[in-house]
Formats: sequence, C-alpha cells, structure tokens
Amino acid sequence: MPTADGTTDDQQEHRLHALLPFLQTQSQTSLTRLYQRPSSCLSIFRLLGAVERQLVMNLLWLDLPIQTSTMSSWVTREGKALFDDALASLARLHFLSNNSAIKLGLSTTFKTSMRHAITGGGTSVSFGVPAEPDENRSAPSIDALDAYALERWETVLHYMVSSGTGQTPIKPSQGVLFLLQRSGLMAMNQGQLQITSSGFQFLLHTPHSQLWELLLQYLQMVEERQMDLVEVLSFLFMLSTMELGREYSIESLSDTQRAMLEDLRDYGLMWQRRASSRRFSPTRLATTLTSSLPPLPTATSTGGAKDQGFIVLETNYRLYAYTDNPLQTAVLNLFVTVKWRFPNLVVGAITRESVRKALLNGITADQIISYLTTYAHPQMRKNRPLLPVTVQDQIRLWELERNRIKTQEGFLYTAFASQADYEYVLNYARQLDVVLWENAAKRCFFGSVEGHTNIRGFIERRTGGSGG
Amino acid sequence: MDGSSHLSLIIDLSPSQWHLSAQSSNPHPLSFQTFLSHVLTFVNSHIASKHENTLAVFGALPGKSSMLYSSLDADSGNGNDPPADANSYRPFKVVNSVVTNNTQKELDLIGGLTEEPPVALVGALTKALCFINRLAHPPSGSLVDEAAASADPRILILSVSPDLAASYIPVMNSIFSAQKLKVTIDVCKVFGEETVFLQQAAHLTGGSYIYLERRDAFLQYLIMSFLPPPSLRHIIAVPRQDKVDFRAACFCHKNIVDIGFVCSVCLSIFCSPVAVCSTCRTKFPMKTLQRLNASRPAIPPANGVSNGSPRPPSARPSTGMSASLR
Amino acid sequence: MNSGSDSDSFDEGGLTTRGRKSKRKSGARASEKGKQKAKDQGYSWEATYARSWDTVQEDEAGSLTGAVAELLARGRRRRLLAPAAAIRRSIIRHLVLLLDLSTSMTDRDMRPTRFDLTLEYAREFVTEWFDQNPLGQIGIVGMRGGIGERICEMSGNPQDVLHAISERHKLEPVGEPSLQNAIEMARSSMSHLPTHSSREILIIFGSLTTVDPGNINETLSSCIKDRIRISLVALAAEMKICRELCDKTGGAFGVAMNEGHFKDLLFELIPPPAAQQNTGTGAGGGAAKMSADLMMMGFPQRLPDTAPAALCVCHAQMRAAGFLCPRCGARLCDAPTDCDVCGLMIVSSPHLARSYHHLFPVKPYSAVMSSQDATGSSANCHACALPFKTTPATNIGEGMSPFDRYRCQDCKNDFCTECDVFVHDVLHCCPGCET
Repeated sequence: MPTADGTTDDQQEHRLHALLPFLQTQSQTSLTRLYQRPSSCLSIFRLLGAVERQLVMNLLWLDLPIQTSTMSSWVTREGKALFDDALASLARLHFLSNNSAIKLGLSTTFKTSMRHAITGGGTSVSFGVPAEPDENRSAPSIDALDAYALERWETVLHYMVSSGTGQTPIKPSQGVLFLLQRSGLMAMNQGQLQITSSGFQFLLHTPHSQLWELLLQYLQMVEERQMDLVEVLSFLFMLSTMELGREYSIESLSDTQRAMLEDLRDYGLMWQRRASSRRFSPTRLATTLTSSLPPLPTATSTGGAKDQGFIVLETNYRLYAYTDNPLQTAVLNLFVTVKWRFPNLVVGAITRESVRKALLNGITADQIISYLTTYAHPQMRKNRPLLPVTVQDQIRLWELERNRIKTQEGFLYTAFASQADYEYVLNYARQLDVVLWENAAKRCFFGSVEGHTNIRGFIERRTGGSGG
Repeated sequence: MDGSSHLSLIIDLSPSQWHLSAQSSNPHPLSFQTFLSHVLTFVNSHIASKHENTLAVFGALPGKSSMLYSSLDADSGNGNDPPADANSYRPFKVVNSVVTNNTQKELDLIGGLTEEPPVALVGALTKALCFINRLAHPPSGSLVDEAAASADPRILILSVSPDLAASYIPVMNSIFSAQKLKVTIDVCKVFGEETVFLQQAAHLTGGSYIYLERRDAFLQYLIMSFLPPPSLRHIIAVPRQDKVDFRAACFCHKNIVDIGFVCSVCLSIFCSPVAVCSTCRTKFPMKTLQRLNASRPAIPPANGVSNGSPRPPSARPSTGMSASLR
Repeated sequence: MNSGSDSDSFDEGGLTTRGRKSKRKSGARASEKGKQKAKDQGYSWEATYARSWDTVQEDEAGSLTGAVAELLARGRRRRLLAPAAAIRRSIIRHLVLLLDLSTSMTDRDMRPTRFDLTLEYAREFVTEWFDQNPLGQIGIVGMRGGIGERICEMSGNPQDVLHAISERHKLEPVGEPSLQNAIEMARSSMSHLPTHSSREILIIFGSLTTVDPGNINETLSSCIKDRIRISLVALAAEMKICRELCDKTGGAFGVAMNEGHFKDLLFELIPPPAAQQNTGTGAGGGAAKMSADLMMMGFPQRLPDTAPAALCVCHAQMRAAGFLCPRCGARLCDAPTDCDVCGLMIVSSPHLARSYHHLFPVKPYSAVMSSQDATGSSANCHACALPFKTTPATNIGEGMSPFDRYRCQDCKNDFCTECDVFVHDVLHCCPGCET
C-alpha cells in the first residue's frame, strides 16, 4: 500500500459527517432512546468512517466485552492513531458500553438494535410500514418522484440565487423561507429576503452537503418548536432506509412525525398525493441521505447526462458548461462572465471582474475551485491536475488582491508638546507592544485599541505629574 | 469519503463435502444451514457498511456454476420478491431470500445425481471475473452507475472441496486476469485440506488465505478478516497465510509435483523425464534424458507415473520436510 | 512470428501516439497509413503537424460509435486468423533498464520532453516485455547526479516495476549521468543469477557526456566476462563508448531519430535475443530442436514472515521469510534462483504458468447471426449475466453478431461482446467449458 495514497485516505476518513458532531452533543439518554430503533442504528452506522464501521462490526457479535489491548493488536502500527480516534468517536456517540478504557463492548441497546437491523426481526417497526397497495391509484413512478424532488430542491436554490437580481422566481413555501432565514443563508433586507454571503457559499456546495446543512438547521430548531428531537431524528433515519418508489403508510408515525410531513414535503424529501393522504413516498433525496454517492436525484439537466460533471475549463480561463439547467447557469453566473448561451451549452470566461464580484459576495477562492472540481466534465477528469494550475493560482491571487488592506481598530496619538514627550510615550507603548505605526517627523503614532487605556493613563499621569 | 467496494462471493456447494463437514465426529461440526446463515449475515454487513457497496454471489456446484445473486439486477423484482416488512431493511431481506431460494433451487437440481462430479470452482471464479470486468467497463446505456465502476473489487472464495489438479491452468489464468483487473482474491478454507492453488491465488493477488480452525467462530472470522475492503487493509492486521505452496500440477498426469521437468520451448511441466514434449512436440536430446533419469530423486515420482490417476493433493511430503528442518 | 505481432502492436500505438510526424502533407489520411518505416520519416522539427483526429471517421449522425465498433470487429477478425498452435517462448531472462535522468533529458526535441516520452515508452515496454517473457525479471536503475540510483529491485511482477516508474516527480532529471556507476550497479544486482538465465542491460541515454569515477573500459571487460549483454538507445547522438559497449557485449545500438523511431528501437529489444534462440524462428518447427531441452525445476514453498529465523544458504544471514528448496530443504531468499546446495533450479510455478495461455488458447467464439439461434438459448450472458438484446441491431460490422451473442463451439453457451473480448484477451479460459 503506497504511503502517499494512505495518507490521503486517512485525511478523508477523518472528515466527519456533518451530523455526527451534532449527535455527539446529545445526552446519553436521548441517544439511547434513538438507538432503540434498528433503522437509526443502521443509518448512523453508515455515516461513520471506515475504521469505526469495521470496529462496530468486530464487536457486534461478541457476547462479552473483550480487552481493549486484544482489539488494538488487530491494527497495524500505522493504524494505531486511527484506531484510537475511532474508539474515541464511538465512545462519544455512546456506542460503547461505559468502561471502554479496559474492556471494549457495544452498549446493550445499540447491540440489540444493530443485530436486529442486520438479521431482520424484532418488533420495532422502524423501517416504515408499507402501505397496502391501492387498486385505484398506482404508486408514483421513480421518475415522477425524481422530477418532484428535483423541482422542489431547485426551487429553493433558484429562489436563493435570483434574490436581489430583480427576477421573481417561484417562491418556496413559508417554512422553507423561515428555515433559510434562520440558518443565515438569507436575510431580510429592506423588506425583502436577500441572499447572504454564507448563502452564496452554500450554493457552491454539493447537493448532499446542502441538504444536510438545511436538515441540521432544522434539527436545531426542533427544540423551539417543542418537538421531540429523538422522534425527528429517527424519522429522518427511517426515511433514509426506505425504498425508492414504494409507498408507506403513516399509521405507525407519532404526532411529531406527522407534523414533520409537511416540512419534508416542502424540501422535496417526500411526496404525498394530498396533504391529508394516509400514505407517503420518500424521494431520492431522502433515500440517499446516508450514502455519499450519488447524492442528487440523478440528472440535473434534461440532456440525460447521468454523470454530474458538465464543466470544461481551459488554461485560457475559458469555461464551457454543458448544461441547460437554469439553476446551474445561475450559479455559474456568480463567478463567470457568460459570453454565449446555446441550447445545451454555456460559454463564458473566468475574469478578474467576475471573480471579484463573487469575492464581494463572500464566496472564497477555494469554494470556486472546489465547485469547479466537483462538477468537472468527465473529459476533464483525465487531466492531472484536474483544473489548469494557472487558473487556480490566478483565482487565488485575485482573492489575495482583495486582502491587501487589513483593518485594525486603534487610536492616533498626536500633538505631543516636545520630541522628548513623544519619545517617552512611544517607548512606553513599545514596551506594551501596541504600536502599529509611528512617524517621528510628525510626532504621532498609532496604537492598537487594547493599549489605549494604559497609554492614556500613562499620559495623564505624566501631564498631571508635570502640572502638579 | 471512502469509496464503495464490490464483493463477489463464491460459495462452494459440494453436497458431499458439506455432508462430511456436518458430521458430529468433527471437532467443530458446521452444517450447511448454519454456514449459510452466517454467510448471509456477513453479506448483509457488507451491504450495511456503505449504501453503494455492491455484491454478487456465485455458487460452485458439482459440474456447473451459477450466479445466485447480483445487486445490479436484484431491483428488477424477479418473481421471488419477499413481502415488505416493517421490521427489516429491505435490501437485506431481498439478498437473503434470493440467495436462499436460488441455492435451494440449484441443490435440488443436482439432487438426483448418484456420482458427484467435482465442483466447478473455476467456472464460478471466471464468471466472477467477467462480472467484475463488466462493472469496470459498463456497456453504454446500462444502469451500472459510476460508483460501482470505481469500486475496488474483491473476490472471496469459501471453499470446502479439495484442489482439482485438472483445473491448474485455468486457475492460474484466472489469477493473472485478477492481477490485471487489480482484483484481490481472499480465500477462506472452511473445511477440508489446504488447497495449493487457492493459496497461490490469495498470495499473488494480495488477498489473505485463512484456514478456518475454530469453525464455531466462522462469522467472527469472516467479519474481522474479510469485511474490511482492500483500501483499509493497510491499517488492519488481517491475518495472512503463513506459508504458500508454490507447487504446480504436471501436464501429463495432473499430479501436483514439487520437482518437475520443464520443456524449455513451451514451459510445460512433466512429472518425469519424457522424450517428446506432449504440448509442442519438441524432441529432447537423449543425453539430457539419461542425465535427468540418473539424477532424479529416487522415491516420489515413480508411483505417480505407475498410478496414472490424479493423486490426492497431499500437502504432506514437503511440510514434513520443513518440520524436520526446524 | 514475434516480429510480426510486434509491428502490429506498433501500428496501433502509432495511431494514438501524439504528434506522430510524417513528411507528407497535413491531410494524411488513415486509409493511406501504410507500413511506412520510421527511417523514411524526417526529423521531428522538419515535420508538419499530424492530424491524428483525421483517422477517426464520424458516421452520418456525427457519432463515433461506428468507428469504435469497427475497431472491435477488427480485433475479432484478427483473433479468428491467429494460429491456435503453441508459440515458442523464451526461457528465463533478466534485464536491468538504465534510465538517463540527467538534465539533458529535459530537452524538448522529442515531445513533450525526452524525459516524459521515455517514461511513457518505458511503461509500455515493461508491459509488453513481461507479456512476451513470462519468466523474466526487470530491474530499473536511474542515472542522475553522477550516481546510479536503484529505482526498482529486480522483480518479476510487472505491477511492481510499473509502480516504480509511475511517479514522475520522484524521477525528476537532475545533474550529470554516470554510465560506469549505473552499469556497475546493474552488474552487481545480476551477479547472483543462475547460469541458464540471460543477463541484459538496456540503456536509454539522452546525454552526450558521462562522469565516471574510474575507467569505463574495465567495467566493459567485466561485463563481457559476466556475459552481460548491453543494448543502448541514444536520444541525442552516437558516442564511441556507447557503440563499443553494445558491440563488444553483443547488444544492439541505435540512435532515435524521432518519437516513432525511438519506440521502434525499444520494442525491437522485446523478443528474446537471437543468440539464445539459435536458429529457432518457427514455433515447434525442426529448427527449434537444437535449443530445446528438458530442465529439472523445483517448486518451492514460501515461508511466512513469522517463521522461526534460520540461516539462508545464499547470504548466510538469519532470515525468517524465504523459500524452501523442495529437494534438499535449503532455505533460499528469493525465487527464481539456483539452489546453492543441490543446484536445482528453483522457480515458483506462477512464473511458468504466466505463459500457459499461449499453449491452450480459447477457441474463437462464433457470432450468432440468425434470430432462431438466438432465441433457443439463455437470455443472459453466460459469464456476466447481462441480458442480451432481443431485437437485432442494424448496421453492424463484418463478423459481429446483431444480437451481441457469441457462442462457444464446445460448451454451446452464449457470451456478450464485452466478455468475448475479455475471455480471449485476458482470461484465456472459457467460463462455460471450465466445469
């Protein structure tokens, strides 16, 4: 195993899923309640890193806890750090029984549920009760569900991207708008919702992380809305283990969960024929919640290209985007000067002006580069490195250009009576290490705000002393 | 994110070997039913680990091989669709029922045979390789998504039958194809004696070969040694095989030999000096024949020739020698 | 026979070689692409730009699928023509590849640079070499900064060798080359080899100078004594010492004129050297009899790293891992080698087995042409379980099946196009026949 590959793998494995830190902050009792449901266990298990998953599996079928040292002999020396990290993160999730320092074992609740999840059985009804087939109406097709999810999701994004441009796209529902506002992605500005800089950043993320970002925000709001967090979480996890294209009955849902139906419908996570319908179908957005690929409800363009990549970037800063999707075009518009538009192709160039416009919106150079990398056309993927180095460097340089001025608060001390006075005070300020700028010819210096009280006291004492 | 992985599982379905395995005179009897339930749990764990993980199950039956399950066309409900159940994750349930049904079907088909031909392990192995090749080069317009194509594939062979000397060349060819496709071959010898060829297969493709000693802990063996995908193996001390037998099967009598006579033109192996190469019809000089006949070791090959029938692959002579050395 | 297949592979390579030059006008068409020898081609700076995209034809709909299918069909037809008889293989070869990694390799007279081109060709060379010399081993030594640098140990595994030269940044050219140092290093790594194996050094040399610590003629005479054959491909110009190295050791010397010629020179060295083949040109013919012989070989057992350490017979050092000679039980460090105690040639059987697919090739499958043939059998590919097309495709190439079904004549099973290619080119055994 080449070491170079190994290290990149390790770094990637270290990147935690966004939900895990949130779960780790929850109390043990609520987590234990959550782990009573096999579907939640399975979903959280899938969010873990590879080493964690393997550890859980190793312990799952052991009836008695085993010595930690026995288990650690199972990893190589290079893997020791990863192994310890994995143990710690499992302990924070309360997967492990309490005395994990000496003996390793899964907590009883988690172990029972996880075993049920793998082998089937139990009476938890946590994977969703399928609805009885309806003779009159057939279940929606997968294509219809995909189209629905896509339409919902892109409505939200499109609303964000075109806010403030004078266009009036379709408004998402009130709940979505509230969530966008709460999460700081949009803000009220002169009576109108305007996208914020974090909103612009949000647009450049992958759909998967966008979705989780919103859901996390949703989870944060749960408490205020007097909903039970465990119910909400387990409903989300249940959705993620459901099968696309199948209808489920709402019979087994709790009141909290029924209340969530409307929200999830608005986000495009599920489909219902009517708001009062007794059945619902999860969409691809929901069923891929715990997977990493492919996060989006398949193709975003009608071009039929199943793969995600559509951007070709050349060393001359010219950019070709094979898309007919208005949302993608709008997002590209954030940092590209579009030259021509064809039915399935957008041609533009990355210019200093266009990048500066994006930077002013709070988008960082790294985000632009990662967006271009994520959506690079399959043809581009043959290149090593993927993006032309010149373009990458130039985008970074343009960002640095804006950072030439650094602001710092402080006070200007001036009008000293004599050179000696000036130097005396200046020396004192230097000792405090608060001098930011000085000019002996003009007898003035600029001190940072932290040092101001001291310097003022010093000057007052001095003038007061000489006066007295 | 760590990538998805593909597992092709090859199950040795030799009824006679499983019958022997289940006998209570064994130190740890393992019946086929128990074995299958453990394998299904293992397979579920593989799918559980990652939403995108793909799976194919092949059965090596006496005289034929067949595909028992493939996650690519499992979605198109083919008759044996299990009823939906709120207490279990559907993909698991589908795998379990499809594999169990197909296994039963195949076993019923061969039930009438009085004499059992050897299991078609090579057939299953070659099919698995073809399947992985198809994953790597999805035909245009198919539903194989990119995730499956980029997965790092591996093959796990659960073997109970002894080596079949006649399949030496095809096994070797499969090993080299696996090397070319960068497929890891893992082998778990569940029952029976060590197999030379599968040892070589695991060794040459960087997989692990494990002889199951505690057969009551079969599931734990499977999970700890064969669940981690190859990308994770550099940090996990997966048990490797202790020794690898690099012996070959001769072309003339299909004996497994440790000293052979090799034609310099086509590299065919013979267990005793021959005058003419049976493969490329090259005649060898008399002088060489005399010299080799004089120098060859006195005991072993003689009975091999007189027998004429495939000798059971006893691993004993050489191991005995190494043991006496230590 | 070897040379025939060789030029075939070169022709295909030429299609993809970027910027392959010719003196002809820019409108050179694929149809004219004859077997123009590299010698007829001019220097790269004299040539006009080659329009490689002209060789691919679009169909009326502007799609390239027709062109791709045509390539597939051609491969099928060639396979049908290939003889099913055994092919003569070489016996054990050992080669050390010396790569010039001096600053002169950064010259751009060969595009993209001499260095990049050398790496690219070296990779192709290694792959092809291992295919044709299954028992052979390759080691790689780099020449830079006045010293010889071991890039890859002698290995019989193409992946190891390819991996060693896969990372460009580890091989960045620097400093001056030293022929003597590098040859000495190569010589020492081949000193332990058994007598029956050939020892060869192949040098790719871009420099016009060499910085040596001693007299290179002494190195030359010791190479002659050790029967090491040195071949050299120069990228710049002929040097007397280079020609002498090759002439006196019986190797080949050549100066590459352009990219295509460079590749020709390299690939000419892939077939086993003539001296070892004697007059053997025909496979299994009477001429091959002279060199044919029966060799006694031992197939060892590999000991694990955890085995109790013992003295090895080759270096007299305590080693845990190693191989056991099947005849005398001596412990050896590596295979293939000659056992130092009983003199038995020790080979691990996979080394031999690598060439067996040439001995028992899979018979070509026949394309299923008519629909009643297609309907009679299984609906899925016997190997990969891909469902077959039910409606025949139109406008298919000659020799291709409209149903994508190819039937094995022995087991009567049907296979898809992808598996047909895979079985014949890679797997070399039919999944249906192997019971």
